[in-house]
Amino acid sequence: MQAHHPTGGDQAAIKNTALLALWTVGWAATLALARFGPAHLWDSQTMASWGAVGLNLGAGVGWNVAHARYLRAIDELQRKIMQDALAISLGVGWVGGFAYVVAERAELVTLEADVGVLSALLGVVYMIAVAAGHLRYR
Amino acid sequence: MNNRLKDLRTERNWTQADLAEHVSVSRQTINAIEKGKFDPSLPLAFRLARLFGMSIEEVFLDDPVRD
Repeated sequence: MQAHHPTGGDQAAIKNTALLALWTVGWAATLALARFGPAHLWDSQTMASWGAVGLNLGAGVGWNVAHARYLRAIDELQRKIMQDALAISLGVGWVGGFAYVVAERAELVTLEADVGVLSALLGVVYMIAVAAGHLRYR
Repeated sequence: MNNRLKDLRTERNWTQADLAEHVSVSRQTINAIEKGKFDPSLPLAFRLARLFGMSIEEVFLDDPVRD
């Protein structure tokens, strides 16, 4: 087995992964601020709540730009792994989301799901799919 | 798709990382191509062939069974 010395491609991928991770954390933090701030930090003041929502939207735009740059910077195998993972995440979100809506309308589920649950589910599915992709092409 | 990448690389005493550096991809990508798990794009196949001074057909071999 060969020793693994990071190549230029590896280093670019690491840098872009780190940037994407930072934007992801930033987006999640601003989402939590917008979600819990009105109740716990600024006593439901409208301006502050709108500010938090705006901040979250801004972070979301940054996150998407970082993701697009990340996909452009990585090489073709890594891009394939990411695209496969995104496709699986989208499929799970789409199918799972509609199944939940149908089940809720039919009064089969009484649990009121928060949108955060869907985000967390998609995040977990995405990470598992990425890990599976790396294992597949290892 | 079969290929001769590993043979061509070892003839030159290059590691997978060396080859990856030459064609600006990750070592994982070179490993996956060598093992036949991943077929490279045409531009990458051209870069690899050019690096070894060969044509694409001399580096990558058709595998009709998998087509």
